[in-house]
Amino acid sequence: MSYRFRGGVHPNPNKELSADKPFVTLQPKGEMVYPISQHIGKPARPVVRRGDLVEAGQLIAEADGFVSANIYATVSGKVKAIEHRRTYAAVPAECIVITNDGEYRVKEGVGVEEDPAGLTNAQILDRIKMAGIVGLGGAGFPTHVKLAPKDPSAIRYIVANGAECEPGITCDDRLMREKPEWVVEGMRCVLRLFPNAKAVICIEENKPEAIAAIQKAIQGDERFSVLPLQVRYPQGSERNLVHAVTGYYMESAALPASLGCIVDNVWTLAAIYRAVCFNEPLMERGVTVTGEGAVNPGNFLVRIGTSAQEVLEAAGGLKEETRKILLGGPMMGAAIPRTDIPLTKQNNALYCMTVDEVELAEAQQTNCIRCGRCIRSCPLGLSPQLMMEAAKRGDLERFIALHGLDCIQCGCCTYTCPAKQPLVPMFKLFKPRAMAYNRAKMAKEASK
Amino acid sequence: MNNMLNVSSSPHFRSSHNTGREMLYVILSLLPATIFGVFHFGLYTLAVVIASVAAACLTEYCFNMVCRRKNSLRDFSAVVTGLLLALVIPPHVPLYVPILGSVFAILFTKCFFGGLGQNFMNPALAGRAFLLISFGKVMTDYSYDAVSGATPLAALANGEAVSVRDMFLGFAMGHTGVSIAALLIGGLFLLYTGTITWEIPVSIVAVFTVVMGLFAGHGFDPMFLLTHICGGGLILGAFFMATDPVTSPMTTTGQLIYGALIGALAALFRFYSGMADGMSYAIIIANLVVPLLDKYIIPQPWGVGKKGQTVDLDAPQKKGFSVPRSAVVLCLITAIAGGALAGVYTMTKDQIEYNQMMAKLQAYKEVIPGAAEIVYDDALTAKVEELGGEVYGEGAFGKAYINEVAVGVDESGNTVGYGISATSMEGYDGEITMAVGMDTEGKLLGISFTTLNETAGMGMLVNEDSWKAQFADKEVESFVLLKQGGSSADNEIDSVSGASTTSGAVVNAVNAALDYYRNVIMQ
Repeated sequence: MSYRFRGGVHPNPNKELSADKPFVTLQPKGEMVYPISQHIGKPARPVVRRGDLVEAGQLIAEADGFVSANIYATVSGKVKAIEHRRTYAAVPAECIVITNDGEYRVKEGVGVEEDPAGLTNAQILDRIKMAGIVGLGGAGFPTHVKLAPKDPSAIRYIVANGAECEPGITCDDRLMREKPEWVVEGMRCVLRLFPNAKAVICIEENKPEAIAAIQKAIQGDERFSVLPLQVRYPQGSERNLVHAVTGYYMESAALPASLGCIVDNVWTLAAIYRAVCFNEPLMERGVTVTGEGAVNPGNFLVRIGTSAQEVLEAAGGLKEETRKILLGGPMMGAAIPRTDIPLTKQNNALYCMTVDEVELAEAQQTNCIRCGRCIRSCPLGLSPQLMMEAAKRGDLERFIALHGLDCIQCGCCTYTCPAKQPLVPMFKLFKPRAMAYNRAKMAKEASK
Repeated sequence: MNNMLNVSSSPHFRSSHNTGREMLYVILSLLPATIFGVFHFGLYTLAVVIASVAAACLTEYCFNMVCRRKNSLRDFSAVVTGLLLALVIPPHVPLYVPILGSVFAILFTKCFFGGLGQNFMNPALAGRAFLLISFGKVMTDYSYDAVSGATPLAALANGEAVSVRDMFLGFAMGHTGVSIAALLIGGLFLLYTGTITWEIPVSIVAVFTVVMGLFAGHGFDPMFLLTHICGGGLILGAFFMATDPVTSPMTTTGQLIYGALIGALAALFRFYSGMADGMSYAIIIANLVVPLLDKYIIPQPWGVGKKGQTVDLDAPQKKGFSVPRSAVVLCLITAIAGGALAGVYTMTKDQIEYNQMMAKLQAYKEVIPGAAEIVYDDALTAKVEELGGEVYGEGAFGKAYINEVAVGVDESGNTVGYGISATSMEGYDGEITMAVGMDTEGKLLGISFTTLNETAGMGMLVNEDSWKAQFADKEVESFVLLKQGGSSADNEIDSVSGASTTSGAVVNAVNAALDYYRNVIMQ
């Protein structure tokens, strides 16, 4: 029996465009751009200068503090500049630009297989930290921070997130089908750090091949299990995975560790495997190019820093009628205004739409009819309709009282709204204001 | 190419569901009841439905045009209002009634407050209330095709037999949406499509049943309760009116409280007032409470384990069946409301009875001026009981009843007159009861009302001393009512202007008393 969480929606999964396309390794031709902030936390500090020669796997920016992550060159070439470049964000961000010499020379010692049995736990954690691994599901939280909770023995489950609930994206599915051992071996490395933990690999039911491949790879290991999940968005959110595994809902502000869980994306586990067993930093990840606007949708192994334009060209380019390109999936991805931007550690997909549903929705917009569908769809149990009313009035107190700060912007309420109200866009604008207000209020209370 | 890309905030997928379709679901769900109504009451009812819907749409269109607002007909909400209004009015009203009702509903309750989603009460019910106030007579006349009769609830109140099966199927007198079966089909469809949720209809029907069972005096008699559930628009209100998303609370707890309030109010109106259609007022009143419910009930996001805390995963977890919290809340509310009502009822019951008794004695004394004391004669009381509570005079005086006969005696114990308590059920608002004083020679001494609930400023004017004086000190066989006034003979009574129904009921009751006096007391 598959497990079902409260709330959520069921958008068209739209996986068939790319689910059967094996990974194609993409060798970038053009210059490579590395934003120094590809993770949650402080931006990394560049350690190369203009004109330096670099090789693939060479550190070019190092973590600045504990919550930060290293960044490595992914091709060989010359540092062209350290300057502000366009990324997916609204304002240009500081980037290291490397001219690709097309030789792909790899730094010595990188990619050499090594038996991890000889490594201590501290060494494993150090390798993960050095490799610059961050949450590859999209959030980009530095993995070494996540894997260092206060009390490792209290961790009961390491949850591999292979739910991939965002419509269209198939790179996690392909990874589990093609290289299940990467995920399982990566998990074994993590399990060594947590003596009491079991591994649970969560996969939505619409990926039977992935489930079968993983089941084969874990055969005979008592500590592993596969948990098939119902196809429902946002099944892959931490909260819902933790609920699926433990039977408890996390409080919205809590971390999975409070329920004895650590959740990692399957690509993160694969990166851990490469880092621990091959001494290879995070240089490459799977990216899905899909959507009706892509001529040849498919899955690609992309070197981090490659321009989105090159990846799109590898997928046969764009159809004439493409209206919108998303970095990520349709529910939480960001629409990009142009394609000459670099792909980072966090980007798992380029979704090309020929129909802009937001545009159509805006044409159909009516007043809110208070139907309550948003409340029923919220996977956190919030009341988006009441939050929207408060936000429209600018009522910060009420927005906070309604737990508006807990919103994870998953988009369910906005997807389901018959009146086509822009709920999540409004919350995105209003939340920073409410947070600032809340901080100021708490500081005031503390000073009393 | 690049500069042509659209940019917007996520999510970039939107469901195909929209407001128009939401309303279309409601329209579809109302079709079985509408079709049945037309089939049952005749084609004229179709004209009523069409007039109502057309007037609603036209009003909204014109308002938007005059105010230069976006045309909003495509969201179909005006059609829903028009259709709902047509279902809650009698099937054979003159066409101007639904038209005026729709115009009022759309213009005053919806457009003036900002259109779709902004109205603070259900427009169709506001329209109905407006019609009931303005056209009381036609709005309570349920006859059609020369078939007349009482609505099932009125029949039940008169102690007649009512077929619940016919009511359920819809073969009964009533408004157009009279078929419970057809309404339930529509209601289930709405539940299936997710347009409504179970909380409101279930809490209304549950609380209504409990309150009726506790206080209506019939206990939990299933036939009595079923008749009341099937009658008076309760089902229509519970599934289609109270669930109107705009005027119902957003939160589950709020919806349960709101439903419980409607159920309790509807039951109270059923047995404390003569109005069988209290349901619409119950919903309107509950509509007004909705903003408060939404303000003070803030749902808590679910979850355990505050930031930094850990949860003991080995602690036994609740498994299997558990009573939903909302059900507990609902039961508690019902219990508290029921308990409070029961308390008030018991505390005041004796006092009310005593007060009524005193008022009655006072009335007798008033109409038998020579009496020092009012006593009851066993023989006379026995004769009244022989009537068995049936209509007196086999309809010669309309629906008139003789309730009791009292005797007025002077200080030395001699009979100086008789007080007859007579009731007519044909007042504008039902019951009118009065004391009629007679002397021992057949002269009418005077009348005094003990129950009178007529319209203030109109029917209530029968209680003016000058009007009542028309009966005093007359020795006639019976009175006749002159609707146009200008009485000359002793037995002619001028009608209160504009209240001939009330006046007629009074004259009938007095005539019944005279008849009883002559034929029973004097024999």
